[in-house]
Amino acid sequence: MRFEFNGTPVEARPGDTVASALYRAGQRVFSRSFKYHRPRGLLCGAGKCPNCLMQVDGVPNVRVCVTPARDGLVVRHQHAYPSLDFDWLSLAQRFDAFLPVGWYYKTFRSHALWRAAEPFIRRAAGLGVVPADPAGEYEHAFRQADVAVIGGGPSGLEAALAHAGAGSEVVLVDDQPELGGHRRYRKRAGPEPTDLIARVRSHPAISVLAGAYCFGLYEGNLLGVVQPAPHARCRERLLHLRAAHVVVATGVYEAPLLFPNNDLVGVMLSTAAQRLIHLHGLPPGKRAAVIGRGVRAEEVLADLRSAGVETHLLIAPEEVERAEGAASVSALRARGERFPCDVVVVCGHLVPDAGLLSQAGARLDWNAQVGAFCPAGLPPTMSAAGEVTGAGLSAAAPLPAPVAPHKRAFVCVCTDATTQDLCDALGEGFDHMETLKRYTTTTMGPCQGRMCQLNAIAVCARQTGRGMQETGVTTSRPPNPGVTLGALAGPRHHPIRRTPLHHQHADRGAVWLDMGEWKRPRYYRTAASSDETTCVRAEYAAVRQRVGLIDVSTLGKLEVRGRDAGRLLDKVYTHRFSDLAVGRARYATLCDDHGILLDDGTISRLAEDRYFLTTTTGNLDFVEQWLLWWLAGTGQHVHIANVTGGLAAVNLAGPLARDTLRKLTALDLGSQAFSYMACRQAEVAGIPAILLRIGFVGETGWEIHVPAECGPDLWDALLDAGREFGIRPFGVEAQRLLRLEKKHVIIGVDTDALTTPYEAGLNWVVRREKEDFIGRHALSGSPRSPRRESLVGLVVEGEQTPEDGSAVMINGRPAGRVTSARFSPHVGAPIALAWAPEAKAVEGARVEVRIRGRAVTARVTLEAFYDPEGARLRA
Amino acid sequence: MSFLIPCPHCGPRSVYEFRFGGEARKRPAPEADAAAWAEYLHVRRNAAGVQTEWWFHRAGCRQWFQAERHTVTNHVRRAFRVEEETGRDAL
Ligand code: FES
Ligand SMILES: [Zn+2]
Repeated sequence: MRFEFNGTPVEARPGDTVASALYRAGQRVFSRSFKYHRPRGLLCGAGKCPNCLMQVDGVPNVRVCVTPARDGLVVRHQHAYPSLDFDWLSLAQRFDAFLPVGWYYKTFRSHALWRAAEPFIRRAAGLGVVPADPAGEYEHAFRQADVAVIGGGPSGLEAALAHAGAGSEVVLVDDQPELGGHRRYRKRAGPEPTDLIARVRSHPAISVLAGAYCFGLYEGNLLGVVQPAPHARCRERLLHLRAAHVVVATGVYEAPLLFPNNDLVGVMLSTAAQRLIHLHGLPPGKRAAVIGRGVRAEEVLADLRSAGVETHLLIAPEEVERAEGAASVSALRARGERFPCDVVVVCGHLVPDAGLLSQAGARLDWNAQVGAFCPAGLPPTMSAAGEVTGAGLSAAAPLPAPVAPHKRAFVCVCTDATTQDLCDALGEGFDHMETLKRYTTTTMGPCQGRMCQLNAIAVCARQTGRGMQETGVTTSRPPNPGVTLGALAGPRHHPIRRTPLHHQHADRGAVWLDMGEWKRPRYYRTAASSDETTCVRAEYAAVRQRVGLIDVSTLGKLEVRGRDAGRLLDKVYTHRFSDLAVGRARYATLCDDHGILLDDGTISRLAEDRYFLTTTTGNLDFVEQWLLWWLAGTGQHVHIANVTGGLAAVNLAGPLARDTLRKLTALDLGSQAFSYMACRQAEVAGIPAILLRIGFVGETGWEIHVPAECGPDLWDALLDAGREFGIRPFGVEAQRLLRLEKKHVIIGVDTDALTTPYEAGLNWVVRREKEDFIGRHALSGSPRSPRRESLVGLVVEGEQTPEDGSAVMINGRPAGRVTSARFSPHVGAPIALAWAPEAKAVEGARVEVRIRGRAVTARVTLEAFYDPEGARLRA
Repeated sequence: MSFLIPCPHCGPRSVYEFRFGGEARKRPAPEADAAAWAEYLHVRRNAAGVQTEWWFHRAGCRQWFQAERHTVTNHVRRAFRVEEETGRDAL
């Protein structure tokens, strides 16, 4: 197995992490510190400190000490210029007197100064580089369990077996590749629980997620779990794990001790040394100085010796004066002596890993006997097991003594905050943990305080003369450890909806337009031209002079049936529908109780108790829910079915539409027999269809709805039948132009969140005499009563068509805006729908429209631009 | 926000399956005075405590129902079909 580190191949053995393979290859510097760019080496070896963050396969800030080595990985250092071993920016520490805590607040008092300095500071600080092209896929998965156990050490295993034995379904999550917890590397602390592991592995009610980490607990016992590389094509999977009960058996982690130069490369925590020895067969150095006392320190000493590391006698924490060394440690000074060494092994504080518990609302109480904050007051849906409770712990090291000013030890290795910085901040009055944290950024780094919180509390407590309990811990919030944005964002999944006629359009050279999730033809290229203006003009001409065909399957379609269907529609829509005759259709608008226009469409009465509704493409869900809402609890007999996906729909329109359709149906299509705003059910080309005689584009036309699977047959049959009349399919762009000439409003395009039907010129759709409907109160005043503004038509002078959204100007001041504008072949000039002040809503009034910075005169018209009497529509 | 809502038709489901419909309030009668309508349209109680709300189970039964939720803790005490509780004129 071999991967690449800064361009050089590195050999790895089975079971290696990226960090252990690098360590075996002789790499000792793993990163540069955040502020001073000091070299940093392996510290925790457990994915809990910031020291080994690297760029792996382009992903920044990967904790390489818990990343399994894999063939072909590309690993790069980050945040060091030019290299880890030599970093220009480490000169920063020479100026540390000028970089006290909060120095940017104090230095950059003017915004201009900060703006000038910011790019340099951002480069000097910060971590990895965000990849421009994030490779790899991310997944989301969902899972439920009776019990989730977090932690695969002895107590987690026992808890899992106990719950499974009691009949629960258990999911066990452990962040290590193998179960066993600390017993895997603390061989002298007790036997490896091989028997428990075997029983857990074979238990049918327990599923094990090894090598997956839980980063947070959310409302309703929802656990966020990340599984790295669950399969070859997936970089990370985010599991939403919900459990009725959560057992936290996360054990303890080790945190550093404070002494000058405690951050030198080669100063590592005892558990990191033990991991190197027992998990990777790697002696951490040649000669070690061990700081610690008691049973744990003896255990570590014995491990080092058996791994062939030369060791001095144990050095008690309070005897330590400082570590020495330039880039990496060369000696430890203690009791007035100098102990030469290439590695200092620190038996640090053991801290219960209780983040999940405190996120669940548990308290953390200081327990002086064990020297730790222990969880208490757990909610009933949570429990804790093992060392995380504080059980079995004994204070490993005394808390730091009052800090002598000249003794500068690193408290927060993530953000390079020292004892000195904390004392300065305390002196400036930031003497509460929460303010101290925010001012110094201690505990706010990538490790989220795991390495520094206890020491910071201890320093704060000592300096202020308060106790540990009184000083208290800061709030724990997820995520901890950090998660990638990719995992949170999940799969790059963008649903696309295609109409039943999609392939018909594709075959005819459709150029697509995305409307929400829908793909619709914008226009069709032809053999003669693929230019949009030319094609749209030709499609337009076909509809106005001959016959055109457009796919309108994206319209929302609802069937509303039942005894009380008319009553419901009367209540929800502004018009009346209970008196609509069977076989008739009516334009329908929908308002809320503020009188704001929400949607429009048509409602046709197919039978006494059966209405067929269309909605605008984007509002289907809303309208369906809106109808259901006003139905809820009324006890009315109404059933609402969303039939959108089940029906294909086309609009056949133009002076020769009747001749075309006549060839395919036995229905009498005469202008008396099948008049404007009538509806029929009949066969078209042998396909059962609903036909509506409506005219969005302003010509004789039929909207024809058929079962989706028959859509392509209908489409082909209509094009065949219309060939002799010069039929042409048309796209959304031609449709928009055609409807604009008719001044037909598109809700949401020409209207906004404050538009009433009156302002949109739709007075006739509001039946104020109805006893009640949604919006009645707001619309009860006269349509002529003072309005904000009115939607008017404009004929613009000159050649240039304003863009949608252009300002309408009066006396040089903006007074409205254009909502839709196109060049009208019929008028021979650009036309527009626009909002204008009420005073200008007069036939022939003059306003100005701003087109690319120039004011152009436009004439107001209140009538439709094309066929204002609707003669062609009704023909 | 990740609490569960016990849909009266489907059982406990993640809140992400639902659409929120606001506090359940009585719509004034059509002939009610302007003050009553102004109150209904513009004033919200914004309670810190248990509130009866409308919810729509979008990714489930696609029905509206009401739930009693504590707005501070997001604990949903119970959810019910409107026709079974408040009678025929809930809106
Ligand atoms: S050491 Fe990581 S936040 Fe302080
Ligand atoms: Zn439901």
